Amino acid sequence: MMEYVWLVPIFPVACFVLAGLFGNKTPQGGGYIAIAGALIAFVLSALVSYDYYSSDLYAAGEAFEMSMEWLVVGGYTLNFGVYIDSLSCIMMLFASFISTLIFVYSIGYMDDQGEKKRRYYGEVSLFLTGMLGLVISSNYLEMFVFWEIMGLCSYLLIGFWSYTHPNGDEASINASSAAKKAFLVTRLGDVCLMTGLFVLLYAFGSLDYSVIFTDAPAVFAANETLVTIGILLLFAGVIGKSAQFPLHDWLPDAMAGPTTVSALIHAATMVKAGVYLVARSYPIFTQSADAMLVVAIIGGVTAIYTASMALNNMNIKRVLAYSTLSQLGYMILALGAGGYLIATGMDTGNQELIVLGTAGYAAGIFHMINHAFFKALLFLCSGSVIHAVGTEDMRHMGGLRKQMPITAYTMLIGSLSIAGIPVFSGFWSKDLVLEAAFAPFHHGLGAGSVFCLLFILGMITAFMTAFYMFRMWFMTFTGEPRGHCHGESPKPMTVPLIILSIFAIGSGLLILVGLGDFMAQSLAVGMNGILAALGLEVEIHSAMHIAEEIFTNVWTYVAIVLAVVGIGIAYLMYVKKPFVAENFDETKKGAIYNLVAKRYYFPQLYNQISWKLGYGISRIVDVFDRKVIDGTVNGLSNAVVGSGDGLSSAQTGYVRDYASYIVIGVVVIMAVFVLMVYYGGGF
Amino acid sequence: MDVPILSLLILIPLVGALVTLFMGGERAGKAKFVAAVFSAITLVLAVYVMTVDDLSTLTENYTWIQVGALTMNIIFAIDGLSILMVFLTALLVLLAVVFSWGEEDRPNYYHALLLAMEVGLMGVYMAQDYFLFYIMWEVTLIPMYFMISWYGGPRRHYSAIKFFIYTHVASVIMLIGIFALVFSTTYGDFSFAAVSAAAAGAPLSEAMQTFIFGLLFFGFAVKMPVPPFHTWLPDAHVEAPTAGSVLLAGVMLKMGSYGIIRVCLDDNIFNLAMANWQMVIVVLGVIAMVYGAYACIAQNDLKKMVAYSSISHMGLVLVGIGCMSVIGTEFAIFQMFAHGIISGVLFMVCGFAGHSFGTRDMRLLGGLAGKFPMFALFMMFSFMASLGLPGLMGFVAEFGLLYGFWEFLSANGLEVLIVFGPLYMMLTAGYYLWAMQKTLFGKLTDKIDLEHSHDLAKYEVVAIAVLCVFMAVFGIMPSIATDFIMPYAGIIGGLF
Repeated sequence: MMEYVWLVPIFPVACFVLAGLFGNKTPQGGGYIAIAGALIAFVLSALVSYDYYSSDLYAAGEAFEMSMEWLVVGGYTLNFGVYIDSLSCIMMLFASFISTLIFVYSIGYMDDQGEKKRRYYGEVSLFLTGMLGLVISSNYLEMFVFWEIMGLCSYLLIGFWSYTHPNGDEASINASSAAKKAFLVTRLGDVCLMTGLFVLLYAFGSLDYSVIFTDAPAVFAANETLVTIGILLLFAGVIGKSAQFPLHDWLPDAMAGPTTVSALIHAATMVKAGVYLVARSYPIFTQSADAMLVVAIIGGVTAIYTASMALNNMNIKRVLAYSTLSQLGYMILALGAGGYLIATGMDTGNQELIVLGTAGYAAGIFHMINHAFFKALLFLCSGSVIHAVGTEDMRHMGGLRKQMPITAYTMLIGSLSIAGIPVFSGFWSKDLVLEAAFAPFHHGLGAGSVFCLLFILGMITAFMTAFYMFRMWFMTFTGEPRGHCHGESPKPMTVPLIILSIFAIGSGLLILVGLGDFMAQSLAVGMNGILAALGLEVEIHSAMHIAEEIFTNVWTYVAIVLAVVGIGIAYLMYVKKPFVAENFDETKKGAIYNLVAKRYYFPQLYNQISWKLGYGISRIVDVFDRKVIDGTVNGLSNAVVGSGDGLSSAQTGYVRDYASYIVIGVVVIMAVFVLMVYYGGGF
Repeated sequence: MDVPILSLLILIPLVGALVTLFMGGERAGKAKFVAAVFSAITLVLAVYVMTVDDLSTLTENYTWIQVGALTMNIIFAIDGLSILMVFLTALLVLLAVVFSWGEEDRPNYYHALLLAMEVGLMGVYMAQDYFLFYIMWEVTLIPMYFMISWYGGPRRHYSAIKFFIYTHVASVIMLIGIFALVFSTTYGDFSFAAVSAAAAGAPLSEAMQTFIFGLLFFGFAVKMPVPPFHTWLPDAHVEAPTAGSVLLAGVMLKMGSYGIIRVCLDDNIFNLAMANWQMVIVVLGVIAMVYGAYACIAQNDLKKMVAYSSISHMGLVLVGIGCMSVIGTEFAIFQMFAHGIISGVLFMVCGFAGHSFGTRDMRLLGGLAGKFPMFALFMMFSFMASLGLPGLMGFVAEFGLLYGFWEFLSANGLEVLIVFGPLYMMLTAGYYLWAMQKTLFGKLTDKIDLEHSHDLAKYEVVAIAVLCVFMAVFGIMPSIATDFIMPYAGIIGGLF
């Protein structure tokens, strides 16, 4: 079955073509075609995963690999192929599963979009192809191809309403600039990533995972600076795609797209591609402890920085967007900390650090899976709310619990999960993330104090998360209704909510039944070769043992208390205190409130920089082009011909005139040369 | 080979041009059918050539002028460098004819000019004799001149004469270079092979090589065009009719880069000069890339923006040439091919905008995607292809060329300068996305006459869609093209 894994992305791309060409001839504008494609992809992913899990390769800690030659670049061969290990399986499974649910949900949510549904279902199918292709790619270039295809779909779908927006022209203009911003900001990361590929190709002579993972220590030892720069350039791509600080600002704007798109692309799947890339590249990233420290710092800073902006936002989707950013920061923090542990472990030959690092690695992936479920759930719930009330502003919601109970309670489950209340999935992975961040400090490693700070930031973030999520929930679902509501959403929308909420409760428990081993296995696939040379190994079961000891750790209880306090404060502020319109008047707030509400003036900063570096210089170039270069040319020709009038009167419009000029010119020049050569004895 | 295929590649369009030229009066309307048939036959022949196993068997050699020591023969041949250009020429001429199906202004002359251009272009890409090469080079110039000055926009006379003077001055300097080269090596035999062999036997002095290289390079660089000799191009494009722009950007600019690779990178002749000029070429290429991209951002006219983007993309070709490596040459040729196909669509789309909406000024357009979906679809497709979206052929070329650039920089300890690559890619994405936003999205404009605007006609869709399919095919399976290129690129790369 594994050898047919390439079929997984083929079905969605076929649906893209079918829905794009014939969507309007089928019910729901191709919606059922898209669902079928995603469902088939999910079933195939499950079969492939099972096949891999039960194969000898899994037991031996090896990846299934298959590739063919794609292009010869000078002396290098670039391949096209598939690479299956447990990480690919996990990614395939949750991406296709969540996509299926979201496509089903779209049947209800996009019902009134008419002709445009064809475009929608075509683009989301193409997007799914990109995501599935990305996770089964066998080399960095192929990965990059799918990476960019996702970027294109993100652009197209954010801009879904960039013309003829149901809410009018203003909203259209917003959507189109949000789409542009998303594309350009992520592109900034992507061009760095591409440069990183040049560095890797130059250093390794190949972009295949298997080659790079095997040769990483030797090549790194030979050229430390270059490879470190290469790693950081790859990470710059991650910063763009996974919206880390300082390239985070596109994601909140990307909420201009349909909510289903936000759920699918900007919460559950595409933004995870960056996290995936870091996890996938562990064998090379962990060569450099410095690079991993950078990764961890970016993750930690992003987590708290973006969470702060969710604290006072009034737009339900934007709160969720900031929350996504913050959670992505967690994942990157965990991977950075885990990688730092492994890198240090390899330097010092300390097996214990390798075990801790493996736990950090698993924590990052685990949080990615859990987040995919609960954040997709939260976004879809917000979509359901928006569908019912026709606004995204929480000031016009309130008291919706009675009118739309399914949405309210599934969203409550999602909120509890992300807040990190025990048993719900977010609790397990968030705790492991924080533990991983704490470990380097706990073991007194070089950058321990930095990690201590990151751990504290992570703890504060956990508190903020609980607060802003419940602020959102209370504002939306409790108190007196402050606006109009159509009632509960139709079945195609509520059923996916219920299914996702089951996962939001349960996906965390999977770690107790072996999911942790399955996740850590992919690290063994990538790194056992490297570690064996140092007399070390990835001890999967010991690493997961750490996870199982969660309840003996005092910090677990501190985190729970912080989350409960956060919920409590939200309750006091938004439920106990009756709703007063002035409380929500942004103009009377203090400086910090406004600073946060203005997103720390980051959008303005971006605008200024891009305007100056882009348009500013382009104006200078344009003037230079017209005045200096063209001015000189025109001046010269005027001097030669006499005047500008002379120039235009010189053209009389007859072929033979010009032909004869040419012939005369040729003959004269030739005669000169012949004379020079034959009578002047050469030059 | 009994049938002189290569001669037919020139003769068929020539006959076609003559036939359409004389289809005056009432028969003028039928000229497009004649042009379509002749250009289609040419395309079939060009495709046939691509199936030939050993391209050298196609070589044709006819005695032409032999006066004393002067030997100017008609030699045609095709190799890995020219085969894609020949195919591209045949393809774009046919599609230009199809795209111009609705042309009603003196269609007989219009199509005669298109076919006459094909004659010259085919000749340039197949000639193996410097004199023939030069003649064919000039032959392309004249129909383009008339294309602009007869069928162009309001400032067509200025643009046409500017085009003519610029490229003519350049080709005269190139001609001086050719004479200097021929009369200092073979003393009169103009064939490529003879000059190359003579120079290999008795190498020119370094100063002489450097001087002649400079003359030839100047001639080619103006055609590409390379700043600061580029300002003829945007003016020519703005005024030229769509089909003229398609051929100008699609295949004529490539004559410049083709000439550099064909002549200036001949190691037998310029073994010493190449190293002297290498850095100049790379620096000019980088300037063209970045300068062109910045100029794009400032443009309001869609077509002028695309014209500057051609300068920018051809700058990348020049960088690849300057690397003088296998990768650089391989992807310089690939990019010539890719840009030919992509810019064809770019100019078709932007030219169409001018016809349909009455203006190409982006300040007057806006929100057109809802009303003109086909136009929007193909505009986005071609813009995305041009900005290097993976999966389409522009990306392959860009990846290869920038990697070649990186390798060149690494070899010279200048790694930091790779930053111009990402800068170029960012700027390219920037101006295309901004242009789409201004043209297609947001509020539907009320500044144009929407009543009389229309979406792409069927024949226009056909011409564009064919090229879009090629972009995807060569983007997904670039080895189809590189298999042709590699044997030639290997020769260049083997030199270093």
